[in-house]
This record gives sequence, structure tokens and C-alpha cells, in this order.
Amino acid sequence: MKALVTGANGFLGRHVVDALLARGIEVRAMVRPAARLEGLGWPASVDVFRADLRTSRELPRAFEGVDVLIHLAAVISGGEDAQFAGTVAGTERLLDAMATVACRRLVLCSSFSVYNYSAVRGTLDEDSPLHQVPDVYARDGYTVAKWWQERVTRRFAEQHGWDLTVLRPGFIWGREHGYLAAMGQQFGQHHLVIGPLTRVPMTHVENCADVFALAAVDPRARGRTLNIVDGRGERIWTSLSDYMRGSGQTGWRLPVPYWLAIMMVRLAYATVFRTATKVPSILMPNRFESRLKPLRFENGRLREVLGWTPPLDHQQCLARTYGPAVSVRAERLYQAPLIETQA
Amino acid sequence: MRTALIGAGQIARQHLACLESLPGIELAAICDLSPATAEAAAERYGIGAWFTDHRAMLEKVRPDVVHVTTPPTSHFKLALDSVDAGAHVVVEKPATPTLAELETLVGRAHDAGRHLVEDYNYLFNRAPQEILRRIESGEFGAVTHVEVLICLDILGPGGFADTNSPHPALTLAGGAITDFLPHLASLAHVFVGPHRTAQTVWSKRKRSPLPYDEFRAVVDAERGTAALGFSASSQPDAFWLRVYGEKMQATANLFETRLTFDGPRNVPKPLRPFFSGLQEGKIVRRAALTTLLRKFKGPGTYEGLWELLARTYRALADQSALPVTAKDVVEVNRMVEALKPHEQRP
Repeated sequence: MKALVTGANGFLGRHVVDALLARGIEVRAMVRPAARLEGLGWPASVDVFRADLRTSRELPRAFEGVDVLIHLAAVISGGEDAQFAGTVAGTERLLDAMATVACRRLVLCSSFSVYNYSAVRGTLDEDSPLHQVPDVYARDGYTVAKWWQERVTRRFAEQHGWDLTVLRPGFIWGREHGYLAAMGQQFGQHHLVIGPLTRVPMTHVENCADVFALAAVDPRARGRTLNIVDGRGERIWTSLSDYMRGSGQTGWRLPVPYWLAIMMVRLAYATVFRTATKVPSILMPNRFESRLKPLRFENGRLREVLGWTPPLDHQQCLARTYGPAVSVRAERLYQAPLIETQA
Repeated sequence: MRTALIGAGQIARQHLACLESLPGIELAAICDLSPATAEAAAERYGIGAWFTDHRAMLEKVRPDVVHVTTPPTSHFKLALDSVDAGAHVVVEKPATPTLAELETLVGRAHDAGRHLVEDYNYLFNRAPQEILRRIESGEFGAVTHVEVLICLDILGPGGFADTNSPHPALTLAGGAITDFLPHLASLAHVFVGPHRTAQTVWSKRKRSPLPYDEFRAVVDAERGTAALGFSASSQPDAFWLRVYGEKMQATANLFETRLTFDGPRNVPKPLRPFFSGLQEGKIVRRAALTTLLRKFKGPGTYEGLWELLARTYRALADQSALPVTAKDVVEVNRMVEALKPHEQRP
């Protein structure tokens, strides 16, 4: 079995490649033309395909011999239009290419950001309400792009009769990605901790990658939409403490109850910013809620459908994130050079 | 008036934000090669229809005005098709990659009785307009010289210097800087008129996919001289406009709201710099506040685009003179042509 992985050298992608290899799945890793791959330690069996989803004319060739597409690529920086062009128009071009080949299996990396947190009460799960038109356009660029990416992918899958699995990870964390937007607002080295007891929907990058590899091979994943969190999540205060301890940061932490913070944000919005056209995200009630609203999270559907439990427990995740660097692949001793396919 | 857009990317958003605030405009259709990009823009701005084929859009919607907001290399064909479909055209700068194409386009629009407006948005920012008002009133005196210098870091990843996907502007003679020449030329043109000669220096300071990242020019024009420049290395980002008149001098940063004048004062000559400094400090402090506030509301640095579009649509409705005429477009583009590098890159 061979998987085509887009965004393969990204934070999640490199771990998905590892997880696929660990399951004995061949990998074609799609990376951007200028991507630097030194340090990833990929074995010679990883077939590197260089292409930019926005412009490459060679995308159909990337699918040669591929049984499943694992689509992780998304633009997470830059302006809203750059994110939309890279994430959504790029997905259109990729799936246009897929429509010309035999591959019919697709696993999409979506996001918790597609859920309308403002409308969710209690527990957020796969049945929770999603953003709707036109309200989605009042959200941040990342949310608009991920929401549209899922929309486009579902349309393609329906049109071409593909087997689609949509995976929606919560906050993905890991080495050099210990700080999460859910931890509040940072001011230099100091932190405003909003709702310190709120639990964060987290998934460690290696656990998350394991779900992608599992979904690629397990027929029970076909046609399903699954949230990925490792469990009910750690509390914000605890996570931030772990982060500060692990990264050697010092600074003040000022806890603020969520209800007080959201009340102040709503008041500021109603009195000052309602007519403003450009407002920092943290001061917009709906975006504030998307980052910080206290909800319950669970991975019941994931356990039920795929029988998945996180391979790493929380202590192991902490050790992988903040402990001494351990090469996941140290024991594999891959030495051979990469084979590259130039698009 | 029925309006349509071809191109639904970043600059289209600025046009749409303005158009939806103007009275008497029906946003009839939008077109983009990416169906999702077109559909998303249509949903966001309540546009009647979306297309991926501009000819199908022009045929079906028959817009009165078409905004061409795609990358510059596609402007000529799209604008020409729009004119042929009977629409006035507002085209993003640079209107066409070459002067020959521009002249063809202007000629075709003229023959069809349609207008072609190139977006010289910074010309319509408050600062240049205020300087023009003072020139017109006579208090500024005749303009002898104008300096325009854009300092903008365009070497960062993801923009013009994207190493993964070459930016379309890199195909222009001069590369990314040529994308900014219409701003420089339109400001020089409005203050000192059409050029007679131009001497340029194009150079490259830093390693990047851009053929050039520095540009300087001295222009001899009909009513005075101009010194124009672009620097990708000088920081912080700024858009300096300095206009030298026989009675006054004006300095503005078009990325901000700063505009100061220095002119005659009713004080003894030795004290003039003292009082000028005090007044300039006061104005700069006030500008700091308005620059901050406009980050929260309104078009920000695109204020000129809003003004240009408002005046253009008013003129089209009244059938009066447009704020940017075909003559302006031709003269500015002739200056742009003279500014382009005519030798191989160093």
C-alpha cells in the first residue's frame, strides 16, 4: 500500500510519515519545491515529490501508484487571502488532479476550528454545529480556509464517489510546539490565563499522527468524520505550567475567570468595536470563544469506530515534548540518500 | 450600475469592501479560476453570481463596469474582453505588462466609447489630494520638484520572493519593483506632468528570486523634476512623498496619515525653523493617533482606492470627467515604460 502525504515535512506531516512507515506503508511525501529536508532523517524508501499545490502542473503524476491520499497541507501563516489561496485553491487543484487518476481513498486533515463554538453547549463532539454561511466569514482566516477546505473536499468526494475520512484534530502539540493559543494571551514573558481550569482539547503530535496512519489503512474509517483528542484534555493552568517549566520560561501568570473575560470582551465589542472593521481576534467575542470557551471534549467516536487509544500517555507526551531530544527513528539508522521526484 | 470583478484575491477584497459601501452599485458577478475562491467571495459580499470563465460571465451578466483584479500578466486579455463586451474597465496597476498592450487597450476602449481607469490609489489618499488642493489655490506656489520613495520589505517569504512558487510579477521587466512603478509614476505625473527624459539605476542588494530590489530614477518632466525610488532594504516600511513648491514644501508618509507643510511664517526669519518645528511636532503627534485609529476602522492605506472608486462611479453616473482619464493612463504608462530597466540585470 502506498500513501501520498501532502504537507509531509510539516509539524504533523513528518510524524504522519513516521507513523505510516511504522505500519509498513510506502510513502510518497509531497513537499514544497524549496523545502529543506535535512534533519528529517527520512529513509531512502520515502519517495519525495516536490510540488506547490498553488501552481504545480505535475500534480496528477504525484498519484502514480498511490492507494490513499493523506491531505495535510494547509497554509497557516500570512494574510487571509494567502491562507485561502494556499489551503483551499491548493486543495481544489490537488483534488482536480486526483479526479484524473485511479486513487479513490482520501483522508483529510480538518480542524476543530470548523465547529461553531458559540453554538456548542456542554460537550463538543462530531455532532456539534459547524459554522454556517455567512457567519463563517466573520471568523479568522485560518478558520475560513479550513472550513472551506473541508467543504471543497466533501464536494469532490461526493462527486467522484471517493472514500473520504475527515479527521479533525484539536490543538496539536509536541516538541517546539508546546505553546497553544488556548493558553490565553501572552504579553512578552507574562501570561493572561483566561479560564485557568478550562480543559484544552489537545492531541500530542505523535498520537495524532498515529490516527492518520490508522485511518489510512482501516476500512472502518471510510466515510467517517472523527475528532482527534488524546482524552478529556489537561487544564490550561497545568498545560501552561508544563510549558513554562519545560521551556525554561519565567514570567507572571495572571488567572482571569472565563466568565469575567468574555463579559469584558462582549462589553468592549458592544461599546467600542462593533462598528470597527479591523479588530484584534482576542477582542471579538466569537473568535474569543473559539479559542477559550470552556467545553468538554472526548474521543468516544474515535475509540468506538477505530478502537483507538493513544499510544503515548500524557507523561510520555510531556517527556517527548520537553525532555531530552530522542530521535523517533534513532533505532532505525537510515543512512541511504533520499530519492527525489522533481515536479 | 451593474459591476463585475475578474479575480477574487487579495486586492479584489479591497475593491469589494469599497463597492459594497457605495450607493447605486449592484455587485452582479465575480469570476476566478478557483471555483471556491469565486464562490466564497460571492457569499461574503452578497454577489449575485460567480463564474470561473470570464467570457461566460461577460456574456451572461453584461456588466456596466468590470474590475480586473487578477495578477498583472493577465490584465490585457481580460480588460480587452471586458471592453469588447461593452463594459467600462477599472484595472489594477500595472494595467498591462507592456506599453504596446496598454495603447492597444486604450485605443479599443476609446473606439468602443468605454472608459479605462487604472488604479492609482495612492494618488487619491488624503495627503496628495490636500497638496493638490493647496497647489490649485495658489498658496503652495508652482511645483519645482517631487520625490517619491517607497521603502518596503518585499523580500520576505510568501510574497514576491516566494521560493516555492514564482510570483507572477516576476515576469514583468524589472520584476516585483515594476509592480510599484505606476504608484511612483502617477504621483510624479500629477505634480510635474508628463516626462521628457528619465535616468534610472536598477540594482540588487540581497539574494532573492527578484531580479532587482533597489531602484532610483531622476525624471525631467514638463513642469519640473522628479526623484523616484524603491528600496526593499531600507526599514521601516514607508511611502515618502515630498513635494517642493515655490512657496511651500510638503512631506507625507502615505503608509500613515502624516502630512506636514513648511512655508512662510509671520515671524522673524531666524525664528522660522523653531516655530515650524513646533507645528510639525504637533501635526505628527496627531497623525500618530489617526494612523493608530484607522487600523481599527475603514480602508486604512487603501483610503485612496475608496476615493478613486467613489469618484469614478459618480463620474460614470453623471457622465462627467473621470478622476483618471485615458490621457493620464497613457502618460503615466509612458513614464513607467521609460523607468523600466532596458539592459540585462547586473
